[in-house]
Amino acid sequence: MSRKDQIDSQGRRLATTVWTALDRKAGAIIELTVRQLKNKTSTWTVMGVSVLLLTLLSAFYIDSVRQGFESIDNDGDSVDFDGDGYPLGQEMKYGSSDYDDREYPGAAIFIPEDQINYWGVRTHSGNYTWDVFGPSKFIGNWENIASKYDGSGDECPEIIGEDLANTPYGYSPFACILADNSLYVQFLRFDGNGTLAVAEGWNAEYGRTTESYYVAPDPPSAYIDEDGLDWDSENPSQSQGFDDDGDCTQEDYYLPTGNQNNDENRNGIACDVQWIRGPDGSVLQINKDEMVDEDPVDSELLGESSHRSFIVATGKIAFAMIIGIFLPLFLALGLIRDESENGTLHYLLSKPIHRGEFIVYRLTGYLIFTGGFVLAMSLIMAIITVTIGPDGNRLGDINVWFGIGIVTVLSLAAYGSIFNAMGLVSPKYGVYFALVYGVYEFAMAVMTLFGADLVPIISVSHWSLQMIDAIVILAWPDTIMLAQMATAFNLDSGLAFFWNPPVHTFGTGSSALAMGLSIVVLLVFITFPILIGQSIFNRREID
Amino acid sequence: MTNPPAVTLDHVSKWYGQVIGINDVSIAIDGGVTGILGMNGAGKSTLFKLLMGRIRPSKGSVRLFGTNPWDSTAPYRRIGYVSESERMYDWMTSIDFVSTLARLHGMTRSEAEFRAEQALSFVDLGDVLNKEIGKYSKGMRQRVKIAAALVHDPDLLILDEPLHGCDPLARTSIMNVIREMGSRGKTVLLSSHILEEIERITEQIVILHAGRLVALGNLHAIRAMLDKHPHRILIHCEDARALASSFIDKQPVYGVRFLDNERLEIMTKDLSEAHSILPALILESGVPIHSIENPDDNLESLLGYLVGDSR
Repeated sequence: MSRKDQIDSQGRRLATTVWTALDRKAGAIIELTVRQLKNKTSTWTVMGVSVLLLTLLSAFYIDSVRQGFESIDNDGDSVDFDGDGYPLGQEMKYGSSDYDDREYPGAAIFIPEDQINYWGVRTHSGNYTWDVFGPSKFIGNWENIASKYDGSGDECPEIIGEDLANTPYGYSPFACILADNSLYVQFLRFDGNGTLAVAEGWNAEYGRTTESYYVAPDPPSAYIDEDGLDWDSENPSQSQGFDDDGDCTQEDYYLPTGNQNNDENRNGIACDVQWIRGPDGSVLQINKDEMVDEDPVDSELLGESSHRSFIVATGKIAFAMIIGIFLPLFLALGLIRDESENGTLHYLLSKPIHRGEFIVYRLTGYLIFTGGFVLAMSLIMAIITVTIGPDGNRLGDINVWFGIGIVTVLSLAAYGSIFNAMGLVSPKYGVYFALVYGVYEFAMAVMTLFGADLVPIISVSHWSLQMIDAIVILAWPDTIMLAQMATAFNLDSGLAFFWNPPVHTFGTGSSALAMGLSIVVLLVFITFPILIGQSIFNRREID
Repeated sequence: MTNPPAVTLDHVSKWYGQVIGINDVSIAIDGGVTGILGMNGAGKSTLFKLLMGRIRPSKGSVRLFGTNPWDSTAPYRRIGYVSESERMYDWMTSIDFVSTLARLHGMTRSEAEFRAEQALSFVDLGDVLNKEIGKYSKGMRQRVKIAAALVHDPDLLILDEPLHGCDPLARTSIMNVIREMGSRGKTVLLSSHILEEIERITEQIVILHAGRLVALGNLHAIRAMLDKHPHRILIHCEDARALASSFIDKQPVYGVRFLDNERLEIMTKDLSEAHSILPALILESGVPIHSIENPDDNLESLLGYLVGDSR
């Protein structure tokens, strides 16, 4: 007879040790907990909402992938603010303003010589281009007055008299013919040979106008994706980049804008880009001069970056912050409190189970149920992104999604034990504590997203997000480069916002260390409330 | 080595703030069926909660098989408990419910299911064990709770008001189960506030009143003392006056009172003696009888006598 099958004095097989009995008790409580959660309406409501949230996010993602990446004017020079038909980029080349439709490439340029001042002499005579600000009267021959202004060439209405001081005026350009055949004019520019009188308190400039010539307007598309990324990844030299559109070097510029500081990265080389690499050759930082490589071809660069940004954003916000906080709020708070309120606790506690043990089994049951759900969801998301994502490191996707699943399970455990402890501390007000705490955790997560690394350290969400940051870089080592590129070249992928290199590395920059530290901190967040809950529950009299 | 008794209370008091639940109670119970009698608020539930380790005594010590139930869950391996709470997991079938609780004793799933089936058959629920508890009647639910308490074959069974609210069929079934347990040498404690219920199950009783232990021992002995106390017998009959004449001057009757023409009240100091002469006297008078009642034969009267309440 094997030792296992021997029977002791009380008729039990020796295989039935304390440990197997513990397993069985744990199994029974865990199974009961899972079945109870399955029987609760709120369980299916929160899980349904979670699935809906992820479905919506995936739908947006699939939709954006299907549409492809439209070319984006990353440096904003394809717009035509003043509506004169010339885009900003072209106006800059010619040195004309894009906020004044009288100025455009090839347009006649008014060069003032002198002015009738706000005070002193009110008249001036000669053959000039006049630029009038305020009520004025011109005697002589005029031409080139903008005919689109109401009343020009018509007789003035009676309210406008020859006494300029008493003339009612608005601030809009206007011209008309007075009774003596002279011209009443305000806020207009025109050419004329004669004498101009300006009302007191107003002024006018006079000078010459250059000859105009025709410049064909460029289409706005000429200023989109016009300065591509020039980077030789095989040759990690100190200086990279090329100013394809010439707006940094200002070659081919007719009137330079006067931007002489074209070495913002201070490496002594004008209009270049510096890619700083780590010892392993990975890009850690990108310092560039402004206006160099600033409008790259988006579809070549945005794909991978946006893809990662979608995964990180979904992982952080939908998984760690929303599912991670709301599932426990609805499902963990009542793990023991509800039993007590429903009057069914005594069935379980009149069995040979220690109360502290009971809390651990209950939480385990809750975690198996919610954790299974979260891992299944992250697996589904992994399948979606691997299938439709751009070509590249898609194995990394699986690792990241698995990591996000694990992080969320750790958050579920931490919040579960915290909320459960709150339910035990105060069965009546625990739900309010939990709500306040949930809001606090959410706020800390938002602070963490915005880059705070000190204030939120006493929160579960901070360490969850930190752990996701670490997992991302472990699974996709070139994410730092993509994030730097997104910032440097104005790529609107969101990666630089949703992902930052892990901060808690004690200066080593090691993501593995950051991940290990996050796990340790999260385990403390899980264990500590369990101990508090046990100590409270052990001393509680259950009426 | 002598085994410690199943239940020992040594000068146990429990108060909730100013309110006293149990006041200086000392008892030791081992073997047989014991009825805990008391009115509502007498301290029965407090006593059971102390035994089940749900509350801690303010003074004194509680021991189950020699172990303090507040500190250790070990005694519950040998205890089955049926609470007065009517709340259950309504979504579970009774076999599920009982076997889940059986697994908390460290049984394997198959062992637990086998024992649960046995226990449910023992309480006459063998043919409905796959039905959800929510669809059960009150009496059936009570029996499921008892099955759950019996599933690990406990040495001590504690039942808090097990017959409360049950239909007659369920009562009979539950009473049979309790008697059977007692006859198997187990210790059974059950509480009730109805004297007649306990009387049908056991003779060994503990009477609690206002948290104090007022009587302990054999119900018949206690009753015998009570019998020597003034008692009333109420007879419903066709002609009270005619019947009354038969009782006058017959020992142990010392007084007769008409409530109306159909109801007669007889005063006696020896209830059993009075009942023994009653049939012959009634036959002799030839007056048709509808019913005979003992309005003083209940817990209130018993308590009134025991605590000297001049009711």
